[in-house]
Amino acid sequence: MRLKLKLKTVFILYFTVSLLGLIYALMQLGQRCDCTEHDLAKDRTISRLREKLHSLLEQTKKAEPTKPLKPPLPTIYVITPTYARLVQKAELTRLSHTFLLVPQLHWIVVEDSPHRTGLVSEFLSHSGLAFTHLHVATPHERKLQEGDPSWLKPRGAEQRNEGLRWLRENIRSQEGGVIYFADDDNTYSLQLFEEMRWTQRVSVWPVGLVGGMRYERPIVEQGHVVRFHTGWRPSRPFPLDMAGFAVSLRLVLANPEARFDGDAPMGFLESSFLQSLVTMEELEPKADLCTKVLVWHTRTEKPKMKREEAMQKQGLGSDPAVEV
Amino acid sequence: MQGMTKPKSSTGDAEKTRHPRRGADCVTVDAAHHSVASEHHRPPAHYPKGSEVQREAVPGPDLREYCSSDKDIVEVVRTEYVYTRPPPWSETLPTIHVVTPTYSRPVQKAELTRLANTFLHVPNLHWVLVEDSARPTALVARLLHETGLNYTHLNVETPRNYKLRGDTRDPRIPRGTMQRNLALRWFRETLGQNATQLGVVYFADDDNTYSLELFEEMRSTQKVSVWPVAFVGGLRYESPKVNGAGKVYGWKTVFDPHRPFAIDMAGFAINLHLILAKPQAYFKLRGVKGGYQESSLLRELVTLNDLEPRAANCTKILVWHTRTEKPVLVNEGKKGFTDPNVEI
Repeated sequence: MRLKLKLKTVFILYFTVSLLGLIYALMQLGQRCDCTEHDLAKDRTISRLREKLHSLLEQTKKAEPTKPLKPPLPTIYVITPTYARLVQKAELTRLSHTFLLVPQLHWIVVEDSPHRTGLVSEFLSHSGLAFTHLHVATPHERKLQEGDPSWLKPRGAEQRNEGLRWLRENIRSQEGGVIYFADDDNTYSLQLFEEMRWTQRVSVWPVGLVGGMRYERPIVEQGHVVRFHTGWRPSRPFPLDMAGFAVSLRLVLANPEARFDGDAPMGFLESSFLQSLVTMEELEPKADLCTKVLVWHTRTEKPKMKREEAMQKQGLGSDPAVEV
Repeated sequence: MQGMTKPKSSTGDAEKTRHPRRGADCVTVDAAHHSVASEHHRPPAHYPKGSEVQREAVPGPDLREYCSSDKDIVEVVRTEYVYTRPPPWSETLPTIHVVTPTYSRPVQKAELTRLANTFLHVPNLHWVLVEDSARPTALVARLLHETGLNYTHLNVETPRNYKLRGDTRDPRIPRGTMQRNLALRWFRETLGQNATQLGVVYFADDDNTYSLELFEEMRSTQKVSVWPVAFVGGLRYESPKVNGAGKVYGWKTVFDPHRPFAIDMAGFAINLHLILAKPQAYFKLRGVKGGYQESSLLRELVTLNDLEPRAANCTKILVWHTRTEKPVLVNEGKKGFTDPNVEI
């Protein structure tokens, strides 16, 4: 019997087979594949090593079931006041690279602003750091005006106090920890953080490029600070820079009134905070009895914007949507 | 990294120190976190062009806490960092050779310290630090050694009459030229034999600021890649102009936009092969007009058409031309000198 094959039938047959094949292929998506024939030597090695690692760790666990865990590292709470200006993002970026290398560090960034800015919020969320994002606006009369020299008014007092407030309200004393006030334009070595980590009350160390000198430092005799080597008003209660000391969390929590006095005369901001916490004799000298410089009071130039300003006058300024 | 072992003996070069790269011996896997390390330790992945490298290793449960008070904080995010520093060397990632000229001044150690802290995050980075000095200094040698980075330490002294004088209207050679050229020569003499090595050369001055994303953008450079730079040319940023086809056709600058390459030193990277293939290409030493330094090298290597735009077609800022203030040391003579033996 001859089968009369119409062209139409051929097409329908072809279409049906293809459709079935497509449906079958789609059903295979997401299914576990049988990869045994593609099993590369490398993958096998990895699986084998992973099993071995797991079994070794099981063995170690079994062998020393009562081994006490290492005491956790005290957390370093770094309080950084910051404010919007051209170089802000750059400063925060390179600062975060240093902090990322320090274990158990919690960064408290306090913006001088009536609200959190998008720039800092986005930056912090992508930084990879454990952070707290706060803000408080400096009252107008305390703010530096355009053209004021940087030393005219103490800066960052309200922001640092806000950081302290957050710690007092959110961190429990037995957690241990140390507080460090790190401005966003200074430079910090990694070793500095390990020096400060075990502070009992207030620890101190030299600071480079500050006070009109190569460095300022506490002078240590027989393991105690006896005076300060500084270029400016050494008779202050604590003639050291904000970057030159750290305070234990316990001490701050035990002294709820200790704060920075934003109205303090120039150079007395640090003293206004420390004098209610500690005496000079109680200071703990770090950095090889205060002989090594592990932090530098660098300052960043204000970028020249003459051409930008000229262009903006012509309505041809750079795209403000491009964040700098 | 192979091949970086022979010290040079010709004038102007210094012995360099080959620093062995750190391997995985830095990874600690303690019992409490072993599941984190084995499951989430990032292998040296192939970095897709332009993607942002994921840095967080999520340890398990979501540890976000939301404060009830809306005023104070948005959230406290705990992220655990699980990685060695610098990251273990990968045999497949192209190496980024970062050339940094440097010179002695009070802020030098600070600048190099924070620069190193950035570089410690970048996989397969080889730092070529070239001092403007007659001999390699102990300060730099010690610093480099302590960072743990993969580095090469060179030096060449710019002759006195060549150095930029602050008051001059007629700059002799732009600062750093001889040092960058020495690095180029070093690449050709040391890496020239192994033609299969993948690498990218980037000129990074020691006072700029670099994001980590920048290094991943440049890693895939075929010839010369370019991107915007903030705070140069008296503008918020300068940038290459990129057309719809993704090609560079001009320069968004105010200062002399008709330069062959109106771009800052920090705004481009060059494939190592190109450097090796054109052994006569160097930065021009003398007779270079202000702002033409970069062009003096690039025009020997590529045309405008060859340039590869990065940073989302040159719309994102990933590097800032920051400058550090010269510290005021006015009190050095007054209350007694500081001890010169204390290194700053």
